Amino acid sequence: MRFRKERSYGLINLLGLSIGIASAMLILLWVEDEINFDNTYTKKELLYAVRENQTYDGKVRTFDNTPGPFAAAVKAEIPGVVNSCRTAFRRGILFSAGEKAIYERGCYTDSSFFSMFTISFLEGSAKDAFKQLNGVVISDAMAKRFFGEEKNVVGKTLKVDNSRDVVVTGVIKEPVENSTLQFEWLAPFEVFSAVSPWVNDWGNNSIDTYVELAPTASPVAIDKQLAGFIGKKSGSTGTQAFLFAMKDWHLRDEFTDGKQTGGQEEYVQLFAIVAGIILLIACINFMNLATARSEKRAKEVGVRKVLGAGRKRLAFQFIGEALLLSALAVVAGVLLLVLVLPAFNALVGKQLQVGWSNPIHFATLAGIALLCGLVAGSYPAFYLSSFNPVTVFKSQQSKTGSAVWIRKGLVVVQFSISIILIVSTVVVYQQVQYVKNRNIGYNKENLLDIDVRGDMLNNFGAIKQELLNSRLIENVALSSYETINIGNNSTNHNWQGKDPSKSVLISNRMVSPEFISTLGMHIVKGRDFRVDTPADSSTILITESLERIMGKDSAVGKTIAFKGNNYQVVGIVQDFIYGDMYNKSDPVVFFYAPAATKYFYVRMKTGANPEEALAQIQSVWKKYNPAYPFVYRFVNDAFNRRFKSEMLIEKLSQVFAALAIIISCLGLFGLAAYTAERRTKEIGVRKVLGASVNSLAGLLSAEFLQLVIFSCILAFPVAWWVMSRWLQGYNYHTSIRWHVFVAAGICALIIAVFTVSFQAIKTAMASPIKSLRTE
Amino acid sequence: MLENIFKWVTVGGNRVFLLKDINLTVKEGEFLSIMGPSGSGKSTLLNVIGMLDGFNEGQYTFLSHAVQQLKEKQRSQLYKQHVGFVFQAYHLIDELTVYENIETPLLYQDIKTSERKAMVGDMLDKFNIVGKKDLFPTQLSGGQQQLVGIARALITKPRLLLADEPTGNLNSKQGEEIMELFYTLNREEGMTIIQVTHAEKNAAYGSRTVHLLDARIEKNG
Repeated sequence: MRFRKERSYGLINLLGLSIGIASAMLILLWVEDEINFDNTYTKKELLYAVRENQTYDGKVRTFDNTPGPFAAAVKAEIPGVVNSCRTAFRRGILFSAGEKAIYERGCYTDSSFFSMFTISFLEGSAKDAFKQLNGVVISDAMAKRFFGEEKNVVGKTLKVDNSRDVVVTGVIKEPVENSTLQFEWLAPFEVFSAVSPWVNDWGNNSIDTYVELAPTASPVAIDKQLAGFIGKKSGSTGTQAFLFAMKDWHLRDEFTDGKQTGGQEEYVQLFAIVAGIILLIACINFMNLATARSEKRAKEVGVRKVLGAGRKRLAFQFIGEALLLSALAVVAGVLLLVLVLPAFNALVGKQLQVGWSNPIHFATLAGIALLCGLVAGSYPAFYLSSFNPVTVFKSQQSKTGSAVWIRKGLVVVQFSISIILIVSTVVVYQQVQYVKNRNIGYNKENLLDIDVRGDMLNNFGAIKQELLNSRLIENVALSSYETINIGNNSTNHNWQGKDPSKSVLISNRMVSPEFISTLGMHIVKGRDFRVDTPADSSTILITESLERIMGKDSAVGKTIAFKGNNYQVVGIVQDFIYGDMYNKSDPVVFFYAPAATKYFYVRMKTGANPEEALAQIQSVWKKYNPAYPFVYRFVNDAFNRRFKSEMLIEKLSQVFAALAIIISCLGLFGLAAYTAERRTKEIGVRKVLGASVNSLAGLLSAEFLQLVIFSCILAFPVAWWVMSRWLQGYNYHTSIRWHVFVAAGICALIIAVFTVSFQAIKTAMASPIKSLRTE
Repeated sequence: MLENIFKWVTVGGNRVFLLKDINLTVKEGEFLSIMGPSGSGKSTLLNVIGMLDGFNEGQYTFLSHAVQQLKEKQRSQLYKQHVGFVFQAYHLIDELTVYENIETPLLYQDIKTSERKAMVGDMLDKFNIVGKKDLFPTQLSGGQQQLVGIARALITKPRLLLADEPTGNLNSKQGEEIMELFYTLNREEGMTIIQVTHAEKNAAYGSRTVHLLDARIEKNG
């Protein structure tokens, strides 16, 4: 009986510690993956992306893009820049070979890309890859998709966009998942610039430029030279280029007012801390249960001391026991880790691996075992070994005032942390929901976004008619850019009374006349474009924010000059959110220009079965665009993806808050069991004196509930402070409401009651005779 | 009144009898001593009489209630009102003061605060321990602790006082005092007392003695 009881304490200890260790290891794997981003590039320290700070109306904004000629010029003119390349990434270009037709993402670039990013060729060579303009280098994964297991892929032909043939000149390894640049194919930049002549213009910023510095070069000195570089060439002095180091690409890619302000790194640090905290909570369990049991072991200590064991020796014995247990917990933790890793990967969208062959992982595990053993074993060892054998033998129950207080303090720490995590989780959730439910100016539900392919623009009228006839589709429209993206913008718009000293960045959107109504945007003044009225091609719609910039009175009827043409404003559209979902977006001008569009929007009728509607669209697509596979996106999904990092934080904080609570509860459970056992005699006496089971269970639980309430008092201000700071980071944020605290407190209380009352009721129900028998 | 009481436990398929065919009638106002060697079933019998423990066979009538037919709740109600317990090891609650220890049974009978105060005050007076009411049990001598234990047992004005070797942990002088107290309680207040004891000397205070041996009543005299 005794043995079994001891074993269950051991199990609670082991379980708590191994859950703690498994969760800490999960977080550490995630952190490792984040920190190791772009580590596969041997020139990581020398590679930089070029970014631009542009000043509009006194505000500095940072952009990824540079002019096309920038790369060659910077290499030629700035010493220290040993290599550079232009890149134009494309999300989905149709490749086909025989029956197979697949959209593949890739990049038009210069051959210097290969040496800069140390691309190793499985077939072919960097030297010959771009010798011919119709050459293409593809990833091993893409090669497999088109040619299966076949070797010697070099020399094979692929059709691009159903129009021209390219020849595979090389096969490379697909970029690993934790690298910033992702592509399946690489093709000569000249192919792209031939059809996009504007990229050769210093005034156009649409190309990503990467540079490699000499190991001796100083990025600070080069930044100084870059500051005025573009201004000298293009004449626009508001644009300053600067270097953005590869080691910062993933973790520190946020810029405010032209200054680097951080990014994902904060979350990585935060979760590393959470890993530590969870381990600490698990260690606290260990300490608590060990000292709680100490009264039982007091006799053992006394006997050993009488037999001549020194204090040091006893301390070593207890630390040794703790180390053994934590080593066991590490083993159990690794087993748990292996079990839950696939689920965790699905959650965070990564492919983390245990990394059995990585010596650092083993060192970390050993470190965790040692740390937990020492942390968890130190206090009990110190405490237990200090027992005086005489007092131990004399009184059946040694007075353990300090230990009781420390134990209570540790439980308070655990529950405070758990409550802070609960509050944080709820606030993060509320913020994500708050932003997602923000009125973005159009209806993103039931809205599809499809790339314009092949002959679609010419057949638009017929496609539209067929879709509308199906009764599943409410409306269709065309646009030059995806509505949630920034797309094209410029400062070259002119109107009467424009302040020449101010440059206003305005987004341009070429749309078909159905666009505003299809998207569900609101015309607040004037009128919409008229469908099938080509005369409207000299009219424009503008957003409210532009109207305000143009002057106090209504802008309807005013004229805006753009690229040598005059356009008449016929309507004002309510502002809508695009680009940064947390900020106000720039003004927009809509042009009546269906011929210049690239995206096809389909509004499904509310209540229409999406599958039927999709099947309908697909059949129409097949009819007019048989050579292109049908690929669509729900605007709602694209919108949700904008909150990827917030949603990841949301999910991670949920998981780890839950884990922290589970571990805390395990500790509480053990402690409650112990307390119940220690008070068995008292409970027996009270029972004989007529106490009911309810009053006894209440008596036993009350002690712990006080601790939980005290934890709430401690945790609330901390949680409020932390989450207020987090929310400050967002321009558009929710506020923390008091319900959150009430809910978190009640939640913690309920969990604690549930945990403790099990033991309390069990003890209160037991027959008093045994506990009162005098030995 | 107990008739043909059997109680057993099954160990390895064999029944081990704790009580075997016990027939015992205790009238109100009696002072009964139960004697017998260790393991003869004295304490078990006392627990059965006090309704802390059940029995497997037989009938037990307590104040005209058939105990074996009562539900747990009714049984606990019955002993809460009519039975007081005194233990060899006193079993005071260490965390509570003398006053609070004596008060505890009243808490479980939902008696008002003012009333409780008066009752505990009376009891402290009666046992001459007013000066010690704020002390904790560990600050008292064994005899004093047992006095508190008895005061606690009597606070609910029970009709039956059960004492399991009440003097077992005391020296002879303290023991005598306790036995004198029992004697007075029985004689002057008509309290029914059943005590388990090892000592003939203590049994002599009682009006009748029952001898147990191997779970049976050997001599009912």
